[in-house]
Amino acid sequence: MKFKADEIASVIQKEIEDFRGLIQTAEVGRVIEVGDGIARCTGLSTAMSGEMVEFSNGTRGFAFNLEENSVGVVILGDYLKITEGDEVRSTGKLLSVPVGEALLGRMVDPLGVPLDGLGPVITGDSRPVEWQAAGVAERQPVKEPLQTGIKAIDAMTPIGRGQRELIIGDRKTGKTAIAIDTILNQKGTGVICVYVACGQRASSIAGVVEVLRQNGALDYTIVVAASSADPAPLQYIAPYAGAAMAEHFMYQGKHTLVVYDDLSKQAVAYRQLSLLMRRPPGREAFPGDVFYCHSRLLERAVKLNKELGGGSMTALPIIETLEGEVSAYIPTNVISITDGQIYLEPDLFWKGIRPAINVGISVSRVGGNAQTKAMKKIAGSLRLDLAAFRELEAFAQLGTELDKATQAQLDRGYRMVELLKQPQYVPLHVADQVVAIYAGTKGYFDKVPVNRVQAVEKELHDFIRTEHADMRDKLVAEAALTDEIEGMLKKALEAFVARQAAKS
Amino acid sequence: MSDARIKSRPESVLEDPGARAVATLYAQSWITAARAQGVSDCHAELHSFVNDVLGGWPEFAEALMSDSVGRDEKLGILDRVIAPRASEFFVNFLRVLVRHGRLSLLPVIREVVIRLTEVESGKQRVRVRSARPLSQRSRDEICVSLRGRFGFDPILEESVDTGLLGGMVLQVGDTVFDSSLRSRLKMLRARLVEKAFNEIQSGRDRFSHPEGD
Repeated sequence: MKFKADEIASVIQKEIEDFRGLIQTAEVGRVIEVGDGIARCTGLSTAMSGEMVEFSNGTRGFAFNLEENSVGVVILGDYLKITEGDEVRSTGKLLSVPVGEALLGRMVDPLGVPLDGLGPVITGDSRPVEWQAAGVAERQPVKEPLQTGIKAIDAMTPIGRGQRELIIGDRKTGKTAIAIDTILNQKGTGVICVYVACGQRASSIAGVVEVLRQNGALDYTIVVAASSADPAPLQYIAPYAGAAMAEHFMYQGKHTLVVYDDLSKQAVAYRQLSLLMRRPPGREAFPGDVFYCHSRLLERAVKLNKELGGGSMTALPIIETLEGEVSAYIPTNVISITDGQIYLEPDLFWKGIRPAINVGISVSRVGGNAQTKAMKKIAGSLRLDLAAFRELEAFAQLGTELDKATQAQLDRGYRMVELLKQPQYVPLHVADQVVAIYAGTKGYFDKVPVNRVQAVEKELHDFIRTEHADMRDKLVAEAALTDEIEGMLKKALEAFVARQAAKS
Repeated sequence: MSDARIKSRPESVLEDPGARAVATLYAQSWITAARAQGVSDCHAELHSFVNDVLGGWPEFAEALMSDSVGRDEKLGILDRVIAPRASEFFVNFLRVLVRHGRLSLLPVIREVVIRLTEVESGKQRVRVRSARPLSQRSRDEICVSLRGRFGFDPILEESVDTGLLGGMVLQVGDTVFDSSLRSRLKMLRARLVEKAFNEIQSGRDRFSHPEGD
């Protein structure tokens, strides 16, 4: 294709001829103090909270503190080029980010500027970063499941579309892995995912993006990245920007999933901003409104009612604890805001139980509403059985002689623990999960040595997929364990057990 | 003693907005009190004190405003030096400032008094930045149009900024009316970029399936 320079020139010429420069009116102020990414300005008497302002060198910022005689502005960019006395102009617009299909598969910073070197994000739509969460009348109860593909979660702490489920744990316990597995499991379900990396190492973010790309999950995912090297204001707004990008799809009636990785780092960035703005410090030097900072963000996760299209935004906030301290300020805040938490423990992780979910204190307050009928039926007693097993296990360690029934219960428990283990980046379809857990709870694994449980489970999935695909398809279609399907499943499992016995 | 004044802040440093707010309070009270007591020539006295006394005798000004001189000493100086030569109303005002430790705000208070009196008499300052010095004709035109639009008598504070390329920028209070060539070019540039963006978008959409892949 050859460009026609004349044509382009004439278009530009026409544009210039038609251009009628109107007088621009703006509210202005002056910078009286600048430093550490913060500017204090006089003037700007009609500035709104959160309004975008522009400095004379083109750098943008937003009004953060509205004081009697000055306005505290958070600078989104290089603050070293702004000097005292510089003019600052209000724009009359709230801080917004580009939204839309064009962002899918892209990695952007919290202002929507691409970071992946794939050219500009071409979209005409934008949306304010801060947005009022949907009210009570605009919502409907969380009923539809959002499958994470992780057996332990889908069976015992199920997540529904529109729910906020906290992932909490120490460093290196697999918090991000759960979130990534959940994103991978959304492939082909139409759920649009947003992964917000806030205060992470740039190398970890690159790692996550690579995993998503290799697994073909980037096509339906937006990555919003504010690494630990980015200024605090960007880290602070990153989750809100991610929420805005997801909301755009949600109000179109689509289902979305947002992962905030992680909110403890965002709270630290917010603390930095607030202290620089001279807001009074409270507990752990966090400002008094750090709870509101998180609650207004997580409240935006919602299942919309039918009139609004029935879209949803599921939020998976991540909180990193120090030495398992869940009673620290930020963890307690976020625990109280969310609809349940998945608690990860380093001890379990090092014992080889991965995902290292402590099923005892992990809960989902939406509970069974967000489970398929099949899963509900078989997982009902799983949590209690496992709790009973843990007690027995502690008792058995005392070396007491056990009766046969107790020993059998213990053996079943060991196998169930093995069965709930799952490698990273291998999410399972809910039908496969039902088959595995059904087999475990009904004792089809009792004869399998504990160390072979995972291998046999894999064989079971292959067996079901290849030889009983009709039963699996039915289970997928009906999502309920009807008598007919259960009968078919029993037969399949018996055949499988017989084959295993013949092998050994 | 050298006559170089010790400056508390360099010229480039803007004044503290908090100090201005306090000065405004004192200035308003001063004007109201003067009116209530029927003191008529108080403005001249204030200007003369700031210009001739404080401006003419920087050492004296420093002594009055310095923190190292105690409050009682300052009051003593006022009684001995100023009281015999000024009206009682003005000396009382200075005493109030000394008692509240706000004497250093006097120059700012004077400035605010000037502004407030201007506003009361229907005048307002308007900053005019233009690419070239204004001619008398354009000055008159600006005054007429401002009077017509805002209803006040403008006092123009002119400055030349060649960076504007052409046109001018008017600032009334915090509001800026920008008709400079620089801003217009900036606007045109933004529009052309946006247009190019739309062109790229429509070009790309032409080759893709409207309902996605």
